[in-house]
Amino acid sequence: MSKVTRRTALKAAGTVALLPWLSDSGLLAFTRLQETGAAPAPKALSPSQFATLEALVEAIIPTDDRSPGAKPARVADYLDLLLVESPSELTLQWLGGLAALDATAAARFNAPFVKLNATQVDAILGDISRNERHPKTPLEKFFVMTKEATIHGYYTSKIGIEQELRYKGNKFLREFIGCETQDGKDCPHCGQKARV
Amino acid sequence: MQSDLTLNVDLTRPLQESQRLADSIKPGAAPWDAIVVGSGAAGGMAAYILAMNGVKVLMLEAGRLIDEKTEYRTMEWPYASMRRNRLPPGERPIAIAEYNFLDRPYGANKTFENATKVLSYSANKFTRNWVVDERQHPTTGTPYAWVRARVLGGKTNFWGRGALRYGPLQFDAASRDGFDVDWPIRYDDVKPYYDKVDVLLGCSGTKEGLIQVPDGVFQRPYKLNCVEVAFKRAIARMGRHYIQGRAGVTTDGVLNKYRARCAGRGRCGRGCNIGAAFHSPTALVYPARDSGNLTVRPYSIVSEVLVDPSTNKATGVRVIDANTREVMDFTARVVVLGAGTLDSTRILLNSKSRAYPDGVGNSSGLLGCYLSEHIMGISGSGFIPVRIGTESTLDDGRPVSPYIARFRNVTDRHPDFIRGYHFQGGGGCFEYPGMAHEITGYGKAFKSNVRKYYPAMVSFGGFGEVLPRRENRVTINPRVKDAWGIPVLNFDYRFSDNELKMTKDMADSIEEMLHAAGAEDIKIGRTTHPPGYSIHEIGTARMGNDPKTSVTDSSCRLHDVKNIYLADAGPFVSGGTQNTTWTILAMAWRTMDFLKERMRTGDV
Repeated sequence: MSKVTRRTALKAAGTVALLPWLSDSGLLAFTRLQETGAAPAPKALSPSQFATLEALVEAIIPTDDRSPGAKPARVADYLDLLLVESPSELTLQWLGGLAALDATAAARFNAPFVKLNATQVDAILGDISRNERHPKTPLEKFFVMTKEATIHGYYTSKIGIEQELRYKGNKFLREFIGCETQDGKDCPHCGQKARV
Repeated sequence: MQSDLTLNVDLTRPLQESQRLADSIKPGAAPWDAIVVGSGAAGGMAAYILAMNGVKVLMLEAGRLIDEKTEYRTMEWPYASMRRNRLPPGERPIAIAEYNFLDRPYGANKTFENATKVLSYSANKFTRNWVVDERQHPTTGTPYAWVRARVLGGKTNFWGRGALRYGPLQFDAASRDGFDVDWPIRYDDVKPYYDKVDVLLGCSGTKEGLIQVPDGVFQRPYKLNCVEVAFKRAIARMGRHYIQGRAGVTTDGVLNKYRARCAGRGRCGRGCNIGAAFHSPTALVYPARDSGNLTVRPYSIVSEVLVDPSTNKATGVRVIDANTREVMDFTARVVVLGAGTLDSTRILLNSKSRAYPDGVGNSSGLLGCYLSEHIMGISGSGFIPVRIGTESTLDDGRPVSPYIARFRNVTDRHPDFIRGYHFQGGGGCFEYPGMAHEITGYGKAFKSNVRKYYPAMVSFGGFGEVLPRRENRVTINPRVKDAWGIPVLNFDYRFSDNELKMTKDMADSIEEMLHAAGAEDIKIGRTTHPPGYSIHEIGTARMGNDPKTSVTDSSCRLHDVKNIYLADAGPFVSGGTQNTTWTILAMAWRTMDFLKERMRTGDV
């Protein structure tokens, strides 16, 4: 049997099982925020840390022509509210990652991460994502951790499911259609012919 | 404080009703002909057949009743809660990888010291109120991912819906390859009962004429989606069969007021709140209760079967009330165990007396031996070119994925291993794009790559037969007790060389098939899941004609005591690669047909 890698362990644990749980109050706060579109009120993160995280998750999954990105999908709020109940070492790891990101931005471009332009953000993310499969430095690990959580937060959001993926299921059907070759037609979705 | 409404569903009704029944149903409250232990596929079917034939049945369920209308949250979106679909603070499922390296009992492990509840890997937001807390239900011995649900309907509330028949390759397995023994019955003995189960419960599928997975009385099949058609065409050229999934779900409707036909919503593993998928409560227990012949007592943990030494007949069972811990002896003319293969075996092993010092049913010394299931974990995935870069379609409105029928040791003989394996899997657009975690990079390129490959994903998981071997067994560990003081099971169960050689071939063959389909970015998972992961445990009370080498006769009746019957998969001699539930249902029906005839003639 092959060994258990960190990645497989992480997947086995449900990808972000390392993240903690929201308190009831945190949850209520978030629910209100989703309903009203209110301004973020971060609890685990300071306003500047929160702004850095928002910039980072938006850089990982940005707004494009098709759909809004991770910032409008409130992925940073999701992360902040999860961090509220983190074991302290994980919260510290996250805060340390944000600090290191700012330190890198300052060293290279003499500005905090939130003030960087697109080219500068790209330069930093290009660096810290280089060893994505086998991250070594704290910043590389921080990138992987944030990316995993961003994927989860984004593609379980309404924006991610409806607007980005244009997911069509979870509704009452008369019948499941599937590939139209099954009904003896050439299929418009995949281009396969009715007959091989 | 207000809590997460998507998580803490209101259980007041089932809890109050459970309490009312537990308070009112006491020994002697009514004369019962038969006691049925358990309410899942086995107990549900046993009680249904008996009750419908006029037998007065007392069903003992260890957990509470279920309110399926509230508890089956079939269509809930992940964004309904900020917790998405995860568990609340403190509740901790055991990760799959943890089973093999954490010491047993799992619940006592330091890893979980901050957890309020330790649950099996199958616990999620939707099943968390049904699966047991490992702390209350410890096991010892070798690693084993034993999933148990103590609630009306048991694991059928979240089962995988794969409704496959065993066939001649299982019943006559030994005649074909010389390993171990055949079943004492043949496929033709069970076929009529499979047919009846198909008609009563509804089974969707396609007639294929394959000996490795016999056809049934099918309702309308689910179609394949685009990537699946491409894969089917590719492996057909290799002579392999990729067929529509066979699901224990009614697509044309059944005669049952608690059930409607499938509406193609998917998400059946949370429980189907229109009752299209088979779940024991709506499909069996409620109709049986409506006959007026079934009494259900919840919170009833059966610790042992009571045997009168003067008659060598079971007189009933000892029950510990899950809440009050009151010990009560319920009596009846016959006892049917359907508590799940391993829990039924545990009850028998714990039923010790002067006549049966090693447990009733254990005169052969084989009770608990021959534990087997399916080896899982081998997987393969890739992207099918015809759908790369296309727009999303509705691909997941089905209860099961399609099925690559077994192709090893069907007509040929593999040089490295006996028996075989199958794969289940398919692809297309699912609600959550799990493949996004495998795509590298960030930014617009990452986002558009997820979108581009999302409709093209296919993935498959293998199920391999674990050989029934005497040394794979459970015994009672008298030093460790569950929360009710009942000694627990000790596992001594390992995969053998045959399974490990088979898994190597599984990985190679799924890779070969993905290549044949022209898949891009093929990924092969070669790590096996821990023992028990399949939840297809069988065999610990095997049937046979010789009381020296078997526990039950060919009617699932103990050789030792003639009025104790097994309705679950304990008597199964070997289990092929097929999901177990449909055979449990067919065999339970067959056993109850035999029993009701004995009762009618006054032979019990």
